[in-house]
Amino acid sequence: MSAVVEHDQVLTIAREVFAAMVDGDPGLLQPWDGDLPAFDQSISAWVDVSGDWHGRAVLTTDKSIADDLARALLDLGADEEVTDLDLVDAFGEVANVVGGNVKSLLPTQGSLGLPQVAPVAPALAGAAVVQELRLAWRGRPFVVAVWGIEKAAEEGNRS
Amino acid sequence: MRALVIDDSRTMRRIVAGTLHDLGFETVQAEDGRAALDVLESGIDVELCCIDWNMPVMDGLEFVGRVRANPAWRHITLMMITTESEQGQIVRALAAGAHEYLIKPFTADAVRGKLDLLGLVPVKETA
Amino acid sequence: MALSADSFAFVADLVRRRSAIQLAVGKEYLVESRLLALARELGMPDVDSYVNAVRVGGKESDHVRVVEALTTNETSWFRDSAPFSALQSYIVPELIAARGLTARLNVWSAACSTGQEPYSIAMTLADCLPSGASAEILATDLSEQVLTRAREGRYSQLEVNRGLPASMLVRHLSRRGAEWQVSQELRRLVTFRQHNLLDPPPAAGPFDVVYLRNVLIYFDIETKRAILERLRRVMKPDGILVLGAAETTIGVDDAWARVPVGAGSVYRPTRPLPANVRAATVPQPRIAPHSPVLSRGAH
Repeated sequence: MSAVVEHDQVLTIAREVFAAMVDGDPGLLQPWDGDLPAFDQSISAWVDVSGDWHGRAVLTTDKSIADDLARALLDLGADEEVTDLDLVDAFGEVANVVGGNVKSLLPTQGSLGLPQVAPVAPALAGAAVVQELRLAWRGRPFVVAVWGIEKAAEEGNRS
Repeated sequence: MRALVIDDSRTMRRIVAGTLHDLGFETVQAEDGRAALDVLESGIDVELCCIDWNMPVMDGLEFVGRVRANPAWRHITLMMITTESEQGQIVRALAAGAHEYLIKPFTADAVRGKLDLLGLVPVKETA
Repeated sequence: MALSADSFAFVADLVRRRSAIQLAVGKEYLVESRLLALARELGMPDVDSYVNAVRVGGKESDHVRVVEALTTNETSWFRDSAPFSALQSYIVPELIAARGLTARLNVWSAACSTGQEPYSIAMTLADCLPSGASAEILATDLSEQVLTRAREGRYSQLEVNRGLPASMLVRHLSRRGAEWQVSQELRRLVTFRQHNLLDPPPAAGPFDVVYLRNVLIYFDIETKRAILERLRRVMKPDGILVLGAAETTIGVDDAWARVPVGAGSVYRPTRPLPANVRAATVPQPRIAPHSPVLSRGAH
């Protein structure tokens, strides 16, 4: 797999998204130190990118953290309930913006699918993890991953 | 002044509308280009539209084209706010008649800066 | 100590009057975090004490710093717009009328930071200089670190969102991965060099246009006067000075005439140069065998 999407680029994108949309401060998204803890209730938001390169940008974290992310985006109080609708819209939108920026790294014009949110992102046939960034958002675990597959035309080339 | 905020994400509409409120705008929201056209056609006076690109039913690019084709809406400033950030996409949007283009993610300062360029922020008072 | 409602109201009112940005209740955290650095700089224990000092002191420069801290996070392109539209509406027409259609304009951006200002000047000149004319831009700053960034001309997506017209973005920058980079052609027109405004001025003068924006506010009045005088010595007698939106020479240095242009002003030297001016500042004939030409439509 050609290094179309680099680690530092994904980190930059993630930090800009969080700084601009959530925190007002790029410093609140940092690399995670050490092993990731298991999530009590894992949840993922993702968006597919298609074109010459087919892939998926996936955000994964614990539901409690995703709820807090939604609260920050929707200006809800710390104790306010986050409905499923709120969560899907807010968490999905973060995945949408991250995915859109990943798409813009690609050499040719691609298109973006609709954001989706579920406990686990389903498998994408033939995809490998291209980048997996283990991050700390306000000190809490948050994973930003990019999966990718080369199109049929590239078959036969080893990545 | 009133702005029409068009995006299929409620979260994003809230963020954009919030920033515009801070800058002194009233806002109306629509979830796609078709709904946005309905708002304009209903006679609501709007000076600014902030438009996402990728939306169901009618996307932002088509909305821009439709507004620019209607003489009654010539006075409306059209700013796209979108994740589409390839050079070619920005050129397409400007060619379709968008006046400005803001790439997501954006800050409130960035919105203000663009509106400054467009002459849409109230005149500053000096000391 | 958390910011008092009274302090917040004062700051919000000041910011609203100066910048039209409305800080709604709920944005106290923003005021606290942005003003904390200013408070600490002055040895104040907290933001409330700082705000109080600003209110009591009533100094314009403090007001400007507070507004700056709350309305700007990073350097902007085409900051305040008027100083750039002034190039098109007044500065270039004036200078071309005086120097001719094949004039070569010498521009100095004297607090250029990460480069957005000199590149914005270059983009504007690309659109409004007559095809036979050209320009070169010297861009200086105190910090070598920002100059290194400026020379590369690479900016993040967040940075290119700030004040840069989309049409300029697509014409003068290209995507490089997650960033955007200023075109090589435009970068060639700007020379970045370190310079301290408190030192003798750079030898690249005399200048037709000097941009000195939002830096005088950090100095006391005597130093401002000294800087302006040094500037005047390396400007052509009919040169043009552009200051920050809230700045003026009036009350600081009476050797300048204020010319209203659009929503702002520019300044032109009024008095002859001091008798002890060095010969090097007298304009020499310029022979430029192969100078880059800024012409309409080139990119």
